[in-house]
Amino acid sequence: MEKPKAIVDREVCLACGGCISVCPKDAITMIAKKACVNKEKCTGCEICIKTCPVGAIYWEGN
Amino acid sequence: MKYDAVVIGSGPAGSVTARFAAESGAKVLIVERREEVGVPVLCGEGISKNVDNFNVLEGKRWIANNMDGARIFSPDGTMVSLAAEMAGNETGYVLHREIFDQELARGAIRAGAELMLNTRAIDLVKKDGKILGVKVKHFEEEIDIKADVIVGADGVESKVGRWAGIKTTLKPSDLETCSQYTLTNVDIEREFCDFYLGKKIAPGGYVWVFPKGKDVANVGIGILASLSTSGLATKLLDKFISSHPELKKGEPIRFLAGAVSVSEPYESVRDNLLLVGDAARQVDPITGGGLMASIEAGKFAGETIGKAVEEQKFDVETLSTYEKAVDAAFYNKLKRNYMVKEIMLGFEDKTLNMLADSLKDVKFDEISTLGLVKALVTKHPSLLVKLRPLMKAAKTKG
Repeated sequence: MEKPKAIVDREVCLACGGCISVCPKDAITMIAKKACVNKEKCTGCEICIKTCPVGAIYWEGN
Repeated sequence: MKYDAVVIGSGPAGSVTARFAAESGAKVLIVERREEVGVPVLCGEGISKNVDNFNVLEGKRWIANNMDGARIFSPDGTMVSLAAEMAGNETGYVLHREIFDQELARGAIRAGAELMLNTRAIDLVKKDGKILGVKVKHFEEEIDIKADVIVGADGVESKVGRWAGIKTTLKPSDLETCSQYTLTNVDIEREFCDFYLGKKIAPGGYVWVFPKGKDVANVGIGILASLSTSGLATKLLDKFISSHPELKKGEPIRFLAGAVSVSEPYESVRDNLLLVGDAARQVDPITGGGLMASIEAGKFAGETIGKAVEEQKFDVETLSTYEKAVDAAFYNKLKRNYMVKEIMLGFEDKTLNMLADSLKDVKFDEISTLGLVKALVTKHPSLLVKLRPLMKAAKTKG
């Protein structure tokens, strides 16, 4: 089965950029003042989910 | 469109770089993806009064409050007081950070720099590997802006560095993830910035309480990303506030998130490109404070760009003048403090309590790493093993 991907809740994200700076695959970009995960690049490592100070990133489908 | 330098980001590092570059004759453009300089504020509202020596700010509107020093509370509540000049970069003035950033940007504009808001850098423009400019998106329009020097002042995300092939990705153990409230109706009339340590309070970081006025405080938390779980920073901050009666009765008028590197400084220069401020990881790894470093580095960067424009040479050797200057000015301190951070991470709460107990009565008129380590080791020989690397560094670097 394919690994799950991270997804950002745009209502919760406060655009701090922490997830972007730790993403080992450079899969996250700030677009229209919210972090945005590139699903093609995301490998589901979970680092961004754990890093988010407001809990705005979760597994897609959850 | 052709400029001598395009600066990506209008934070303190970007604005100060632009100012000094423009003052030395360069044609400079700052691009900022937000619609207002300084907003939203991303954490941190403390700075050393050394900022006055740089003459980059006019008036006093950016100052919220004057501090006399800092108080550090160990996990069991033991308090260590430090006078402002000993407490590092994060005490002295408490800022209205959005006004502070806007005043620095105004200084750059007055010196001749242009500023474009709502403009997001999306990539470098390169030909045969050579950087020729930057590709930006202004609303829906994509524009290529040509420039001899691109300055990555794009903060903790440091995308510009990545585009230039500098590996700026941070290890989770080198990033503090932060959240912060501005609380009003709190009982906070005091002249100290307070810091609270402890694994249960803020793993790998600290909680800060900065008084912005007699009933307003900036209360925030930073925890190490490697010790974080989803949303933990905010949960722990809420817990801290609800367990402190003087804060609990307050109401938030602002909630923010932030992120700050606590790594060693990274390489910051390539042909036609330099990084400055948080993007170059010019942040104190102990405190997470980077404002003073950004301003100091920005000055060197701007002056270096001015010279490069004069000579019309933009290769890595020419631009390295900047990196050599920041290295001489404060990289030793950052590297030493990175060692201290790594050592402190290994400390149990009881060790922190013991340290605080040893230091609580010390008069910090003069402080040096070596002196401090010697005093601690004399009292607690068991610390010798843990502190030895630091002692070595202090001896060689002073």
